[in-house]
Amino acid sequence: MLCHAVHRLLLAIPVLLGVLTVGFMLMQVVPTDPATVRAGPMATADVVAAIRRDLGLDRPLLVQFGLYLARLLQGDLGVSIINNIPVATELGNTIGPTLELMLASLIWSIPLGLALGTIGAYWRGKLIDRAVMAVSVAGVSLPVFFLGLILIWFVGFRWGLLPFTGRSGPLWTLDGLIGITLPALTLGGVFIGPVARMTRTAVLDVLGAEHVRTARAKGLREITVVLRHALRNALIPVVTLIGLQIGFLLGGAVVTETIFSWPGVGRLAVGAITSNDFPMAQGTILVLAGGFIVINLVVDLLYAVLDPRVRA
Amino acid sequence: MNRLLRDPLALIGLALVLAAILAAIFAPVLTSADPYDNDLASAMQPPGPDHMLGADDQGRDMIVRLLYGLRLTLLMGAAAVGIGGGIGTTLGLVAAFYRRLDTLIMRIMDVLLSFPAILFGLAIAAIFGPGTTAVILALSVATIPLAARIVRATATVEMQRDYIEAARAVGMGDNRLILRHLLPNCLSALFVWATLRFGQVILLGSALSFIGLGAQPPTAELGAMAAQGRTFLFFAPHIAVVPSIAIFLVVLAFNVLGDALRDALDPRLRV
Repeated sequence: MLCHAVHRLLLAIPVLLGVLTVGFMLMQVVPTDPATVRAGPMATADVVAAIRRDLGLDRPLLVQFGLYLARLLQGDLGVSIINNIPVATELGNTIGPTLELMLASLIWSIPLGLALGTIGAYWRGKLIDRAVMAVSVAGVSLPVFFLGLILIWFVGFRWGLLPFTGRSGPLWTLDGLIGITLPALTLGGVFIGPVARMTRTAVLDVLGAEHVRTARAKGLREITVVLRHALRNALIPVVTLIGLQIGFLLGGAVVTETIFSWPGVGRLAVGAITSNDFPMAQGTILVLAGGFIVINLVVDLLYAVLDPRVRA
Repeated sequence: MNRLLRDPLALIGLALVLAAILAAIFAPVLTSADPYDNDLASAMQPPGPDHMLGADDQGRDMIVRLLYGLRLTLLMGAAAVGIGGGIGTTLGLVAAFYRRLDTLIMRIMDVLLSFPAILFGLAIAAIFGPGTTAVILALSVATIPLAARIVRATATVEMQRDYIEAARAVGMGDNRLILRHLLPNCLSALFVWATLRFGQVILLGSALSFIGLGAQPPTAELGAMAAQGRTFLFFAPHIAVVPSIAIFLVVLAFNVLGDALRDALDPRLRV
């Protein structure tokens, strides 16, 4: 187990270096000169040159890369070109809402997907299975923004039931819960399809296994056989697959945040890119990529904990 | 193939896919109107006798916009699947054929695979600026590792077969062996994968356009059209709904067809 963990950690290092290099290159190719930007429009050439020296921009590229790494380690991601707010501060403010949105989406869509998939597998080939499959194929084909726009139009606008712009408070308050409902329904809605599909396949696999036949032969009730013996074993591959689908969820989150003006990292990143705010864009991309390295590591290790066979 | 033709769902999927492709190719023939010609008198007109699917905020006919939008969207999808699939296939074949390179290539693929397509979209749009090219590039990069995995898995199995040994015994060169024997035997798996991937790529590409990183308005592209309609959602919902439904139907058709193809071509996966 420890060996597996160390192996995985070591593999993450070159990936992290790669991401940092891409982040560094991002700042090299952009057309604006960071020194001129920091100095402001009124600065004299001397001041710009001084700032350039300060930032190490007159040094060789490799030294600059070292300086860049040192700055990152100190949590200095630069300052927004647009509003002069430190990138790290903005990121700190937006990560919470994004995680909140992802959590609120997963908390209802995963159980529903698991239930649908298990039902489909149990009554395989029957009408209800076909219905489950139809819902899941439709689910994986539905653009997130379409679902979001439908919910906004009917629930938010036509029926006036729920708010559809911005975040109204933290998740643990009533206002926060009401505010997150539509975005979470949107993002979770497109996640049900994949989860139901993966669960159905996994449960079908396990239902044919010998231990399930044994459980039936013992005279256990069907519900016990399905939930305790089939679904439980099917959960191992499903958990991994859900972990791998977190990327898909993030893609949905970026779009959902844009539609609902949700103050998260995705919306921050998109705004920074479309307004040419390079330091902000670089910071958000670095943090998102870093987050992925961590998530993948956790999923990997979780898999090993759940399924002892992997550790060998 | 017979099995496929007896499945009504697969036939509907196939018909829709063909209809979309033909409509995209023959858009200039099907309509003489220009998708950028505006007519402010009929701006935001709901579906009716003048404009069957309504007109957008500039009074441009939605059907004309839809045809040209479909054209660009499918073209973007084809470019991404073609470029990413081509590079991925090459890497997958090399990994399966030259075992020494296998670990190196597949490790790099694993790394690419660990980042979601949207992240490539954000990074590439940040470097090159938002646009159709950025979307194609991002989706190609995201597609490479998927193609490499499928092809490597299929080719590794094929490498165990007798015909490879036989071809080697008669002194066939590596390149010829890969192109004439190994690749053709991977094509059916590749075809199924490409059909399914096409649907995903269209979904991702239109999402990138929708959030403003892809095709820019007033370009007729389905995702960009939906984004443009979002502004007028409460006055003229059809501007956003028409392109959104088009994306949904096209992706659904590719997914249904891809699933049916997989069931028909790969009996092991039949349930």
